[in-house]
Amino acid sequence: MLDLIRRRLLTALPTLAVVVILSFVLMRVAPGGPFDGERPLDPQTRAALMSTYGLDRPLPEQVGRYVWRLAQGDFGPSLVYRDFTVTDLIARGLPVSLTLGGLALLLALLLGLGAGLTAAAQAGGRRDHMLMLGATLLTSLPSFVVGPLLALVFGLWAGWLPVSGWGDGDPAHILLPVIALALPAAGAIAKLARAGLAEVLGQDHIRMARARGLRWSRILIVHALRPALVPVASYLGPAAAGMLTGAVVIETVFALPGLGRYFVQGALNRDYPLVLGVVTLYAALIILFNLLADLAYGWLDPRARR
Amino acid sequence: MRPALILIGLIVVAALLGPLAIEWRYDAIDWNAVRSPPFAGDHLMGTDSVGRDLLARTLVGTRVTLGVAAAAALVSLIVGVAWGAVAGWRGGKVDEAMMRVVDALYALPFMFVVILLMVVFGRSILLVFLGIGAVEWLTMARVVRGQMLALRERPFIIAAEAAGTRPTMIVLRHMLPNLAGVAIAYLLLTIPQVVMIESFLSFLGLGVQEPMTSLGILLKDGADDMDIAPHALLLPGLVLVTILLCLTRAGEKLRDRFTL
Repeated sequence: MLDLIRRRLLTALPTLAVVVILSFVLMRVAPGGPFDGERPLDPQTRAALMSTYGLDRPLPEQVGRYVWRLAQGDFGPSLVYRDFTVTDLIARGLPVSLTLGGLALLLALLLGLGAGLTAAAQAGGRRDHMLMLGATLLTSLPSFVVGPLLALVFGLWAGWLPVSGWGDGDPAHILLPVIALALPAAGAIAKLARAGLAEVLGQDHIRMARARGLRWSRILIVHALRPALVPVASYLGPAAAGMLTGAVVIETVFALPGLGRYFVQGALNRDYPLVLGVVTLYAALIILFNLLADLAYGWLDPRARR
Repeated sequence: MRPALILIGLIVVAALLGPLAIEWRYDAIDWNAVRSPPFAGDHLMGTDSVGRDLLARTLVGTRVTLGVAAAAALVSLIVGVAWGAVAGWRGGKVDEAMMRVVDALYALPFMFVVILLMVVFGRSILLVFLGIGAVEWLTMARVVRGQMLALRERPFIIAAEAAGTRPTMIVLRHMLPNLAGVAIAYLLLTIPQVVMIESFLSFLGLGVQEPMTSLGILLKDGADDMDIAPHALLLPGLVLVTILLCLTRAGEKLRDRFTL
C-alpha cells in the first residue's frame, strides 16, 4: 500500500511539471497579452509593467522562476484582479468548489448505487429497463441544460429555492447546483454498478449463497456489491475530472464564486498566473483522485493488492 | 440495435438534405416573428430570440455537430488503434512505456488544455475537433491493446507465426480485422463524448462561432432564453438526446458482442 502511494507520487511529480511547463509556454506564445486594453498604454508604462511582473525576461527563465515559486506555494500575482495574489483567489474559490464537488460526488454515488442495485435485483425486468433508460438519459443531458432547467422549475416557477449565489454555504443555495452537478455522474455510476452486478451475480459464490437460502437483499448487498464496485472505483478518477469540468458550467449558471469561474474569467482575460494556478491545482486534484481510486480498487479487489 | 441505427441514419439524412427543403435560411432574421411559438405562423418549430427559424437552425446545427463529432472520432480512431496495436503487439518494455504515457495523459485535466488551446490559437472548427480527437484516443488505445493481448494467444495467430508469416502481415491481415468490431463499437461510443465536449465548448463561447450554429450553441441560447421562450430548447434538445441515446445504445450492443 505505502509502496503503491510512493510509486504513484513518483509519476505524479513529473506529470505535474509537464502540465505546468506546457501550459506556461502555451500561454506565453499566444498573441495578445494582459495589458492589451482598449487604450494603448504608453511604451514607458508598458515596459514598467512588464518588468514588474517579470514578463520581459527570456522564456526559460520565466518558467524556472514560476516553478521555483510554485514549489514554495506562491502562485504569483493576478494580472487582472489587481491587489489580489492568485493564492488569495484560489483560497476563496477552492472551498466553494470542493464543497460543491464533494457533495455532488457523494449524492451521485448514493443515487447511482441505489439505482444500479435496484435495476440488477430484477435484471431484465421492467424496472431495470426504465432505470437504465433514465441513466442513459442523464448521461446524455449536458449540465448546462439540466442546471437552468432545475433553476427554472424549482426556483422561478415553484419558488422553493434560490437560483443564484452561494449564500455563505446556506444549504438552500447549495441544493440545486449540487443536484445539477451530480445527475450525469449518477447516471454513469448506475450503469457501471448495474453491469458489474450482472457479471458478479452469475458467479458460483452467488449460486452457493442462494443455495444456502440467504435472503436475496442480503446476497446483493453483502456478497455481490463489493466485487461489483470495482468498475465503479475505476470510474472515480474520470468522475472527479468530470466534476471539475461540470463545476465550471454549474458555477457559471448558478453564479457561484468557485474556482471554475475564476478559470473561465482568467482564460478570457489572459490572466496567465490565474489560469496556470487553476490548471495546476486541477491537475493535482485529478492525480490525487486517481490515487484514491487505486486505493479503493485494492480494498475492493484483494487480487489487485501487490 | 437496428432501430437505433435507422434513427441515426434518418437524422443524418435530414441534417444533410433538410435545409434545402425549408424556405428559411438558418441565419435569416424574420423581424415579424421574434420568439414565435411552434406550430403557429410561418415557422413550423417557431423562432429564436432574434427571429431565426428554429427548424432550419436545428438542421444546420445538427450537421455541424455531427461533422465535428465524426471528424474527431475518426482522429481518435486512427491514433488510438495505431497506438494500442503497436503496444499490444510489441508487448514487454515498449508496451509498458506506451501505456504509462496513456496513464499520464489520463491524469491530465485535458478539457482545460483544450480550452487553453482555443484561447491561444483562436476558435476554428478544425482546432475544435483536432483538440477533441487528441483527448479521446486514450480509451481507444487501452481497449485495442487489451484486444491485441487477448488475440495474440489465439491458435490461428500462433499458427501464422509458426508458418513464418511476416509480423506486419499478421497484424494487418489477421489481427486488425478481428479488432474492427470492437474499434467500431468504441467509435460509436466516442461520438457522444465528442458531442458533449463540443457543446461544453460552445457553452463557454469557445466553439463554433455565430452566425454558424451547432446543437451546443442552440442549447446554450435556449437555456439563456428559457424563462421567456422555453420552446427554443425543445427541438435541439430532442435531437441531441436522440442522437446520444441511439449511439450509446448501438455502441454498447456492438461492444458486448465483439469484446473478446
